[in-house]
Amino acid sequence: MKITHPITRRAAIKSLLKISGSLALSSISGLHFKAPGPAWAETVKEGFIIEGLGQKEGYSVKELTREVFKAAGGMAGFVSKGDVVAIKPNLSWARRPDLAATTNPEVMEALIELCYEAGAKKVRIVDNTIHDAGRCFAVTGAGSVAKKTGADLVYPRASLMKKMKIHGHRLDVWDVFVPLVEADKLINLPIAKDHGLSILTLGIKNWMGGVSGRRYALHQDIHQSIVDLAQFFKPTITLIDAINIITKNGPSGGSPSDVAIKNTLILSNDQVAADAAAARLFGYGPEELGFILLGSKWGLGTSDMEKLSRKQVIL
Amino acid sequence: MESRLPMDTVVDYSSVISSDLDLKIDYPVRFFFQLDPLVGISSLLSGHKLIKGFMWAAGLLFLTLFLGRIFCGFICPLGTIHHVISWFRPSLKGERMVKANQKTPSQRIKYFLLITIIVGALVGLNLSGLMDPISLLFRSLALTVFPGLGVGINGIFDWMAASDVKILNLMSYSGEILAAPLFGYGYKSYQTAWFIGLLFLLILFLNRIRPRFWCRVLCPLGALLGLFSRFSILRLEKYQDKCTNCKVCTRVCQGAASPEPGSQWENSECLMCFNCFDSCPESALSFKFKWSSPVLNKKPDMSRRAVLAGLLAGVSIPLLGRLDGRVYKVSDPRLIRPPGSLPEKGFLNLCQRCGLCMKVCPTNVINPTISEAGMAGFWTPHLVMIQGYCEYTCTLCGNVCPTGAIEEFSVKDKIERPIRIGSAYVDRGRCLPWSGNGPCIVCEEHCPTSPKAIYFRKEPVKGPEGQVTEVQLPYVDLKKCLGCGICEYKCPVKGRPAIRVISAGESRSLENQILL
Repeated sequence: MKITHPITRRAAIKSLLKISGSLALSSISGLHFKAPGPAWAETVKEGFIIEGLGQKEGYSVKELTREVFKAAGGMAGFVSKGDVVAIKPNLSWARRPDLAATTNPEVMEALIELCYEAGAKKVRIVDNTIHDAGRCFAVTGAGSVAKKTGADLVYPRASLMKKMKIHGHRLDVWDVFVPLVEADKLINLPIAKDHGLSILTLGIKNWMGGVSGRRYALHQDIHQSIVDLAQFFKPTITLIDAINIITKNGPSGGSPSDVAIKNTLILSNDQVAADAAAARLFGYGPEELGFILLGSKWGLGTSDMEKLSRKQVIL
Repeated sequence: MESRLPMDTVVDYSSVISSDLDLKIDYPVRFFFQLDPLVGISSLLSGHKLIKGFMWAAGLLFLTLFLGRIFCGFICPLGTIHHVISWFRPSLKGERMVKANQKTPSQRIKYFLLITIIVGALVGLNLSGLMDPISLLFRSLALTVFPGLGVGINGIFDWMAASDVKILNLMSYSGEILAAPLFGYGYKSYQTAWFIGLLFLLILFLNRIRPRFWCRVLCPLGALLGLFSRFSILRLEKYQDKCTNCKVCTRVCQGAASPEPGSQWENSECLMCFNCFDSCPESALSFKFKWSSPVLNKKPDMSRRAVLAGLLAGVSIPLLGRLDGRVYKVSDPRLIRPPGSLPEKGFLNLCQRCGLCMKVCPTNVINPTISEAGMAGFWTPHLVMIQGYCEYTCTLCGNVCPTGAIEEFSVKDKIERPIRIGSAYVDRGRCLPWSGNGPCIVCEEHCPTSPKAIYFRKEPVKGPEGQVTEVQLPYVDLKKCLGCGICEYKCPVKGRPAIRVISAGESRSLENQILL
């Protein structure tokens, strides 16, 4: 917490109560927060960003996904034997995969296979959808991916939402989708889309689907809210699906004419960098997007590509 | 916690991806309605429509001509429930039960109800759904019994999930997965569900006063089948000489159909349960097929009074039902019918108020009406947008409607025709950006049409402290709005949202329109 003004006795008691309350909560839910020290140290370590492009006619999306991870040194660098991995795709809308309103099922399938090949004990697909979850799972193809790969598809039900301390600059306590924080490794798997308020919805905005409660009130301060969430969730890696993107009428789209084909995947361990790279596909610079600016400001990551090791994979 | 893949989505995932197939319910949920001749006949008389699968009902009537009310004794699910309750620890014993099973004039009430329904249907209002046993049972189960159990069960699971005992958490997760296919996740709610449930309990309780009270006294379908069993060839034969007058047959007779030798068998009251023949210690009773008999079965006892009262009620209720102006003058702005619904008059001619559409709706938006559709439309379906919304690519309500009051439609119809159910308007006094209380785009974000029916204009707005900020102000393009209500449902202004849907603009009505 940043204290910029003299604190009154009342405020001090209040914040003490809040902290002790959240500690009690965290013990109730059996969660163990990482100590802040080592977590910050991780982001200081040199980041990487890998761009995968499918240029050949009829290339395999699954193959491209595998190649991107190979370029990053293999999945074993991120997922260890016996890990429980939570994947956070964007399955918000009950729309067909070709309308690009939801994460590409082929990318998701390849990613889950890679996790299992790296020795993951369990892979869970976790998203709090906007449309009815059962329909979203069926229509977006997530259901058949789960069936094929043996991953768990977690239904976003009330008993799995628990109030947690976000420790954000804007958000204090919020309902969080528990399997995301219970996992050993967390992979963010958003799809890149146009958005009415945040201009684009990429990796950082995808965390809106990791919370519940009055989440539609977050739009009143969207940039800070989603950066707070991204800082809370801290995924191991972010893989942005930009095979097909929605360039207008987002984030739900609904018409093939809203979709642009980009055949691109972006993999990074830096949430801000991944978003900055994906924003370029829409023609936006990092300085035009509030959440990228705030993310850089609060140390979530960097939009300066020179600070990262960069690679490109072309299929 | 090991596996949380829910089995509640009733679809085969693999068939859906990368095809345009609509998700459908494959179970024969409409079968009992197709078998129910009262549903078929009332739809034919009022809606001038042979419902899908009417042949089943015709077949049943034909069967009844020969075999009597075997539907009541062997097929009717509500009758089965009544039978079980009446049989399990009956409240009356011995002589008192014999007395309770004497035929009474109250058994004419069902003929009165039947005539009311038939005449009402002719005049133009389908009332059968209120009293038809199949509709009544489906409505009661779908809107009260299952959701009620669901509320209880999910309440226990939520309590377990919130507890700090780890084993209870794990048990609740796996329990939820087991319970979800039947009860769903979360808490369902339906307007007037308590009343529907109370009536159901009352009807079940009446079995304590008289066995199968509903079937004997109230069931209009039973009355209809009773009329058709006039010439039944399956008859109760009585052997007076063997009878010792022990009255066991009357004690076990659930239809009060005078089985004992010495009295005339009430053929149209007989539920064909065969209890009497089964329990007679002297074999003085038996059911036999008899083709030509000099004596016809006994005429159904419906009395002139019941017929006249039925005629009067049947004519007046539909007319009274139109006096509140819902059909001819103007529709209630909150009367938002499910997509694919017929125009109001045609809708009331077919809707059985059975609750299938409400049960199948994935967002729980479809609810029974109270006053929105007037007296004539009590318990018919309408959408309450603060409780859910109409999902853009969902077609399930049209898929399950047994009579076609909601016509079957495809996703393509819904989007491309398009099927409008109403239109949205912004309440600028409550809206966050319009009232200067901050930026918000939730309605636009959720708007499912392409291009979106909700669009923005960037304009400076004065905030509470007089500071001017540029915000995106939402507007509704009425030409594109379908009235799905997701904007109203997701609006962060709770209670009474800042964007709301009214029925005006619904494509089923020529009058209830806004634009030229």
